[in-house]
Amino acid sequence: MEYLLPTLRKKQEVDSLIRDTLDKVLVLRFGLSSDAVCLQLDDVLYKSVKDVSKFVTVALVDTTEEEIQVYLKYFDITYVPSIVFFFNAHHMKMDSGSADHTKWVGTFQRKQDFVDVVEEHMVQGCKSSLCNCRRYTERQ
Amino acid sequence: MLIPATLNDSFLADLDELSDNEDDLLEADNDDAEHMEEDVDGDLADIEALNYDDLDSVSKLQKTQRFTDIMQGGYVVAFPLSYSATDFLKVEDALENGSENSTHGIVLEDDPEYQLIVDCNALSVDIENEIVIIHNFIRDKYRLKFPELESLVHHPIDYARVVKKIANEMDLTLVDLEGFLPSAIIMVVSVTASTTSGKPLPEDVLQKTIDACDRALALDSAKKKVLDFVESRMGYIAPNLSAIVGSAVAAKIIGTAGGLSALAKMPACNVQLLGAKKKNLAGFSTATSQFRVGYLEQTEIFQSTPPSLRMRACRLLASKSTLAARVDSTRGDPAGKTGRTLRAEIHKKIEKWQEPPPAKQPKPLPVPDSEPRKKRGGRRLRKMKERYAITDMRKLANRMQFGIPEESSLGDGLGEGYGMLGQAGSGKLRVSVGQSKLAAKVAKKFKDRSYGTSGATSGLTSSLAFTPVQGIELSNPQANQFGGTQSTYFSETGTFSKIKRT
Repeated sequence: MEYLLPTLRKKQEVDSLIRDTLDKVLVLRFGLSSDAVCLQLDDVLYKSVKDVSKFVTVALVDTTEEEIQVYLKYFDITYVPSIVFFFNAHHMKMDSGSADHTKWVGTFQRKQDFVDVVEEHMVQGCKSSLCNCRRYTERQ
Repeated sequence: MLIPATLNDSFLADLDELSDNEDDLLEADNDDAEHMEEDVDGDLADIEALNYDDLDSVSKLQKTQRFTDIMQGGYVVAFPLSYSATDFLKVEDALENGSENSTHGIVLEDDPEYQLIVDCNALSVDIENEIVIIHNFIRDKYRLKFPELESLVHHPIDYARVVKKIANEMDLTLVDLEGFLPSAIIMVVSVTASTTSGKPLPEDVLQKTIDACDRALALDSAKKKVLDFVESRMGYIAPNLSAIVGSAVAAKIIGTAGGLSALAKMPACNVQLLGAKKKNLAGFSTATSQFRVGYLEQTEIFQSTPPSLRMRACRLLASKSTLAARVDSTRGDPAGKTGRTLRAEIHKKIEKWQEPPPAKQPKPLPVPDSEPRKKRGGRRLRKMKERYAITDMRKLANRMQFGIPEESSLGDGLGEGYGMLGQAGSGKLRVSVGQSKLAAKVAKKFKDRSYGTSGATSGLTSSLAFTPVQGIELSNPQANQFGGTQSTYFSETGTFSKIKRT
C-alpha cells in the first residue's frame, strides 16, 4: 500500500509533516507494510482517505527504517501497527479502552469505525479536550 | 365554345364525367330511404342536388368564362361550391405556367397565387369530407354482399379499391388482391369471405357501387394533385414555415387556420392543436390515446423523437413554427434562413434532452461541527414542539406550597410527589389539558366569529369533589377566567390563601 498513501522514511519528513499540518488531524500509522494486520489497516485507511480529506491527513511510517527508531522509542511503540494522532502539532491523547492513552493499537474492523474515531479527534482537537473512543474498541 | 390546349380539354372531359357521376350518386341516395344514414346523407344530398343543379348550369357558364380568362391570363374568383370545375383548371394553369415566381405583391393576400393556394386548401378539406360520404355509401351498399369487409379494411380508398376488384365475385380465390392490401389482411379477407353471410348484389346496385368507387378514387387522385401543387408552392408562400415542419404539413395547417396571416395571429398553443382529431372511434382502444397534437404529429421532427419526449417536442415545434409563420406573413425572410436556423435549434434542444445526466461525484465528508445546524422555525415546528412541551399538570406537580408537605404516590414522602396537584385551596379540582398558545390564538379567532360555545367544558365534570382535608369541595368556575395556564399560587389576581384553624 505504500504507493497509494504517502510513506515516510526519514525523520526529517516526519517532523516537517507534523509541523506543517494545520487545522487538520494528522494520522500517522507506524507499521510494516507486509504484515497482514497492517495490510488490513492500510486498506481501511486508503478507502477512507478521500472521504475525510477535508479534515484529515494520513501518512504511513515504516518502522524498519533506522531514522524512525527514534520515534518508536519516543512513542513507546511495541505492537505494530499503531496509529498516533496529531492536531496542530499537538499529540492527541485518546482513551481507547486500553491502558495506553497515547496511541491506537491494531486495526479497524470497518471503515466507518476509523471515520468515527477521526471525527472524534477533530471535534476534541478543536475543543482541546480528551478524545473518548471507547465505544469503537468495545464493538470489536 | 373555344377549344383550348388539349390538356385542358381532356381535363374538362374528366370533370364532366365527375359531375355526371355525382348526379347519379345523389339519385341513388334519394332512392334508398330505408337506411338511417341514408336519410341523413339524403338530406345533405338534397341540398347538394339543388346546388349542383343550379351550379351545373352556372358552372357551364363559368367554364366558358374560365377559358376566356385563361387565354387572356386573367384571374377568376372561384365560387365556393363549384370547385370541381374552376379550381382544377387554375391548378393546371398554374402548373403550366410553372416557375413564374414573381415576388411582386408585398402584401401576400393580394397575390393571386396565394389566393389559389388558400382555395386549394379549402378544396382538399372538402374533398376529404366528400370521400367519407362516398365511403359510407359504398359500405352500405356492399354490406349485403360482404358485411365483414368494412371492419377488416378501414381506409376508405383501400376499401373502394377492394370493392372494385371483388365486384360481385363469390369465390375470393379467383380475385387477386396483391398490391392493394398487406398480405396478412388479404389472408384474413379470403378466409372471412369463405364463411361470409352475404349474397351477390343485383346488377343495378352493383353498377352504382362500382361507380361510387370510381368516383372516390378519382377524388382521391384529385386531392393528391391539389396537395402536390400546394406543396410545390409552399416554398414560395411560406419558406420559413416549410423549412421547419415540411411543406405538406405547412400546407395543411395554413389551410386549417384559414390563411397565413390568420395562422400568424394564433398563439402557439392553438397552432399545436390545429387538425387534432377529437373523435375517439368506438371499438378502438384508448390505451394509445394520442395527446393533444394535430397536424404537427405528421412532421418528420415529431416522428423521429422518442415517445417519452414527444409532448415536449410538440410544444417546442408549435412555438417555433408560430414564429416562422409570423416571419412569413410579413415576408421578412424570403430565403427561408430563419426557418433553417429555427430547425437547427429544435434539433439541438431535442439532442440535449436525450443526453444522460452527469455522473455523481463522491464528495468528501464535511468537517464535524463546522456547519451550524439549520434551525427551522414557523408554525409547523411550534405545533410539533407542543407535543413535547411541559404540561400544566407537570408544572403544578413541580411546585410546592410553602409549609405544606406534598402528597406522594406511595405516601409518607416516598414515591413521586404531587406538588400542588389536587391540593385544597387551588381553584381547580382536576387539571385538564390547558390550551396551548397556538390553540389559544385559534380559539380567539373563532370566538371573534362567535361560534356559540365559549370555553370548552366537558359535560362529565361535576362541581363536587372529595378532598382529603375538607371533605366535599365545590369548584369555583370563576377561578379559571384569567388565564388557565397560570398557577394560582403565583397569579397576580389570586386571592389570599386561607389559613385554616385546627
